[in-house]
Amino acid sequence: MASSTALSFNFSTLSTHFKQNQAPLRGICNVNSVSLPSRGIRPGSFRRLRVSCAAKPQTLDKVCGIVRKQLALPADSSITGESKFTALGADSLDTVEIVMGLEEEFGISVEEENAQNIVTVQDAADLIEKLVEQKAA
Amino acid sequence: MNIRCFQRNFSAAFPPLVPLQLPSPMETHLWYILPDEVKNSALLNQYSELLSPCERESVSRMRGDQLKKRALLARALVRTTIARYQTNCQMNPRSLRFRKNLYGKPEVEWRNEDNFNPPPLHFNISHTSAMIACGVTVNVPIGIDIEEKQRRTKNNIIAFAQRYFSPYEVKVLTAISDPEVQRQEFIKLWTLKEAYVKALGKGFSAVPFKTFTIRFRDTTMRNFHPPESSVSEESDIVVESSEDPTDPANNWRCALLEVAGSHYGAICMEKDRIAGENAPPKLTVWKTVPFVEDVCVSGTDAVLVLGGIIEQ
Repeated sequence: MASSTALSFNFSTLSTHFKQNQAPLRGICNVNSVSLPSRGIRPGSFRRLRVSCAAKPQTLDKVCGIVRKQLALPADSSITGESKFTALGADSLDTVEIVMGLEEEFGISVEEENAQNIVTVQDAADLIEKLVEQKAA
Repeated sequence: MNIRCFQRNFSAAFPPLVPLQLPSPMETHLWYILPDEVKNSALLNQYSELLSPCERESVSRMRGDQLKKRALLARALVRTTIARYQTNCQMNPRSLRFRKNLYGKPEVEWRNEDNFNPPPLHFNISHTSAMIACGVTVNVPIGIDIEEKQRRTKNNIIAFAQRYFSPYEVKVLTAISDPEVQRQEFIKLWTLKEAYVKALGKGFSAVPFKTFTIRFRDTTMRNFHPPESSVSEESDIVVESSEDPTDPANNWRCALLEVAGSHYGAICMEKDRIAGENAPPKLTVWKTVPFVEDVCVSGTDAVLVLGGIIEQ
């Protein structure tokens, strides 16, 4: 049996030199997919830079609220668009419940293929806006 | 000579993992860790040494120590579990490489070295806040899912089922009048559906939950069994695909367990046509703290078969 600890395990020493890129994408719209030639690499290979048309802040806030509630996160825990569902502790049942909550809140229907591609909170917000738009059209 | 053989004692601090024979065809091995039993920081440190830099990074990105610990233990469990199965000689858990298949299902990436025959080993993991489990089979794909028995949904169960489950399953759940029993049956159904999709390994969008039905079917199977093995007298569990009713998905076997008194666990594996379908599949379960203790819990109260024809 594992014995009790003398000191607590420091999880932050696990990270290497990883810096999260938190560049916000708001204000950049009308660009869905941009192909940029990369330098010094084999000709014909392009790096694809995908810039999502970012959702409105209100949408993002509502999504954060639903996620926070589903995962029972403390009010002071920070959730941003870049937050990954899995990193917040959501398992598959949580994710499906969140999607259901979003459907009800926004009056939309999310197909399974789309739900599977939702990795971050921003992905969810963007998808919602897209579906809301499609519905209004 | 296989280089791997010289890595038998790769770390003086680690006792070697107890080596095991691979499961036989139609046999499942299930390993689980209870995170609350793993508190020793030196041990956690050792586990983190097993991870690839990429895995360590993923662990560090989890929010909060509990989630980090869970992610760490999950990787440690997968690596140590697979390393146990001796082929020619002991495998170093740290040197295992993993990749995802076309649809995102994790698998071992065996390296092509001379005289090294990769074992036909399949695995799948699942975790909750209180347990991490890894299922292992040979020859055939496996999917597992565990859920805490006490898991509650935020949404109304029938509303949820109507949205995601098949009509038959909604009918079954609606017919249950006791809300607590209904909730339990919902969780069981959820784990079975998850396990099936994970076993298929084609991603959730390839097999939406609504497109297949899990049914409990009573059987009148009679077999002789040695006294020491326990056999479920419960229903068989079948999967029916509504996309193709003429060919029900009876290539897949499911079993439902109660594990450690606290979790429902579902296992789904493809039937091995070569091994034949006559013998009931076997299940062996270990509770483990890798490098510290392995306890075989099959046939004890820690593992109860709730459904599916499976033998411990």
